[in-house]
Amino acid sequence: MQGLLSIARGIDRISKVFSLIAIWFVLLASLLSALNAFVRYGLNAFLDLGKSYPSLAKSLDGIARAYSDNSNGFLEGQWYMFAGMVLFGAAWTLKVNEHVRVDLVYGAVSERTRTWIDLIGGIFFLVPFCILMVTITWPWFYDAWRINEGSTNAGGLVRWPVKLVLPVGFVLLLMQAISEIIKCVAALTSNYVREFAYEKPLQ
Amino acid sequence: MIDIIKNNMAPIMFVGLIFFMLIGYPAAFSLAAVGMIFGYAAISMGLFQPDFFGNMTYQLYSIISNDLLLAIPFFTLMGAILERCGLAEDLLEGFGQLFGSVRGGLSYAVIIVGAVLGAITGTVAASVIAMGVISLPVMLKYGYSVRHTTGVIAASGTITQLIPPSLVLVVLADVMGKSVGDMYKGAIGPSIIQIVLFLVYVFVLSIFKPKEVPALPPEARVLRGAPLLWKCAKGMIPSLVLIFLVLGTIFMGLATPTEAGAMGVVGAFALAAINGRLTWDLTWQGMDSTMRLSAMVAFILIGARVFSLVFQGVGGGHWIEAMLSGLPGGQMGFLIVVNLFVFVLAFFLDFFEIAFIVIPLLVPVATKLNIDLVWLGVLLCANIQTSFMHPPFGFALFYLRGIAPPSIKSTDIYMGAIPWLFLQIALVVILIVWPESVTYWLDKGTVMNQQQVDDALKNIIIPGIGAPGAPGGFGLPGLDPPPIKIQ
Repeated sequence: MQGLLSIARGIDRISKVFSLIAIWFVLLASLLSALNAFVRYGLNAFLDLGKSYPSLAKSLDGIARAYSDNSNGFLEGQWYMFAGMVLFGAAWTLKVNEHVRVDLVYGAVSERTRTWIDLIGGIFFLVPFCILMVTITWPWFYDAWRINEGSTNAGGLVRWPVKLVLPVGFVLLLMQAISEIIKCVAALTSNYVREFAYEKPLQ
Repeated sequence: MIDIIKNNMAPIMFVGLIFFMLIGYPAAFSLAAVGMIFGYAAISMGLFQPDFFGNMTYQLYSIISNDLLLAIPFFTLMGAILERCGLAEDLLEGFGQLFGSVRGGLSYAVIIVGAVLGAITGTVAASVIAMGVISLPVMLKYGYSVRHTTGVIAASGTITQLIPPSLVLVVLADVMGKSVGDMYKGAIGPSIIQIVLFLVYVFVLSIFKPKEVPALPPEARVLRGAPLLWKCAKGMIPSLVLIFLVLGTIFMGLATPTEAGAMGVVGAFALAAINGRLTWDLTWQGMDSTMRLSAMVAFILIGARVFSLVFQGVGGGHWIEAMLSGLPGGQMGFLIVVNLFVFVLAFFLDFFEIAFIVIPLLVPVATKLNIDLVWLGVLLCANIQTSFMHPPFGFALFYLRGIAPPSIKSTDIYMGAIPWLFLQIALVVILIVWPESVTYWLDKGTVMNQQQVDDALKNIIIPGIGAPGAPGGFGLPGLDPPPIKIQ
């Protein structure tokens, strides 16, 4: 059991690392999106200003062109990061027990019964779901990688990185599901106590 | 036996959904499991092609590439920063002093500040926590009753749900296929009605139960004249700037709701920095909780898509439609049943689950019954608001409990919410019987009557073909325009 628990801890650490990436994407995506909106409407104003200052206009023109040549890439960057945020973050969210539940029954039963529910749900719901998702998303990524699929928008980003995020996210979730299953078994068979026990909102 | 199952897959699946959800495993994965189990059953019975689940890749892709869903992390992060950037303090102190001399003055201040915060941010947690931390001790100190105090704070924080830019409306707009701008415009009237209802309630209370809502004693009203105005301005000016940055740019068509949310994040950071509250700790906590909420919501959506892909595949849509369109009373019957249904569901499901599972099933029926979807969306938004004010999901109460001192009993928080819950239900009833309160603010489409349409059609000149009825030219025999049916 100790060996399995150390595997579970190892998985938790991997999930933690990816969750840090996901957390950074929150800030970066916000800043990028704000920049996109700002530049799109700010740029014209700056260019008008530039007309009266020819030397300024020249340097601004360069920036404007550099931005507009890649603006679709910047726009797509927003949702690439969103994909990373939710798929890299899902495993850690599972670990800290923050996927919302309908707690009509779950909130009323003992901790032991809850552990059973999590164990059965993990084995029969979550693991098969993750496996299905990995099997359908992996070939889909592989095709995009093989033909080096590009964006349909001019200046957009290549597609395989975001398509890779899907299978990676589901593999992470699958591993975290296994980690949680190990913890449930440990809690049922030994005196192991699960760290993030469910807290019923407000008694 | 197999035939019976085959012909009734949809109802069986619906019962399966209820059962699986009740077990209490995370809803996102239970939903996906129901979809998978019934999907494989359907494949083995020959209802679906074996590669049916391949469709899921496109569904997944449409979720992650959806620009509107990006608004969820942005508005959440903005709320997390605003919660502790000092804005609510300035507003509450200013308005509290301004209205302090009248009975119920602090309650008026909380309601108005709740509305202002609601117009800036889109998340309830930010409003309730910010107002609770600041107002709760002050109101209790000056003799406001505990139940009234907790009730007014929770309720005023909850209006954020309805007041644009509300996250709920963004999600509903996406699910219903309407523009977010229209949803926001439709919510203006109801927001005003709700605020007025709250203010009137406090006024009535101050007449009949003045002891619950006393006026501030003179020694507590330290600010007067210019300093008071300055205090109010210090809260209102940044608020107005933020409202413009987020809501103004959406209404003026300058920014998409998603970009407006992102600019709101930057605005909230700037404000926190000006007030000297911007720390890395605060930022990181905000980012962390935002990531978890976004992942949770996105996975509910993924689970719901697995479920609905299979559910629609086995004819669930027709089944729901047949059930709901057969209701007596047409539009009104549908609305009443749907609202009761959603009201009850809100006791068990949280908002995102209702939005992603239930509402897509209702939309086709509503469209068939000629119900304005913006009206329906705003109506359901007002309806779902109530779930923030009652157990078990009562998030507004939950947040309030988190910051209230232990001396305040949970029962007080629950009981205090009841009058406000009734005010919210009153709003739903008003919106049902008075749809213009929503549609008044929408852009009216061009309306033509039969005569105008006929005239317009007569004047269409197609090059090469003579005007209808005109002899000669290239007019080919038998090419009279077919009769056009117009409703």
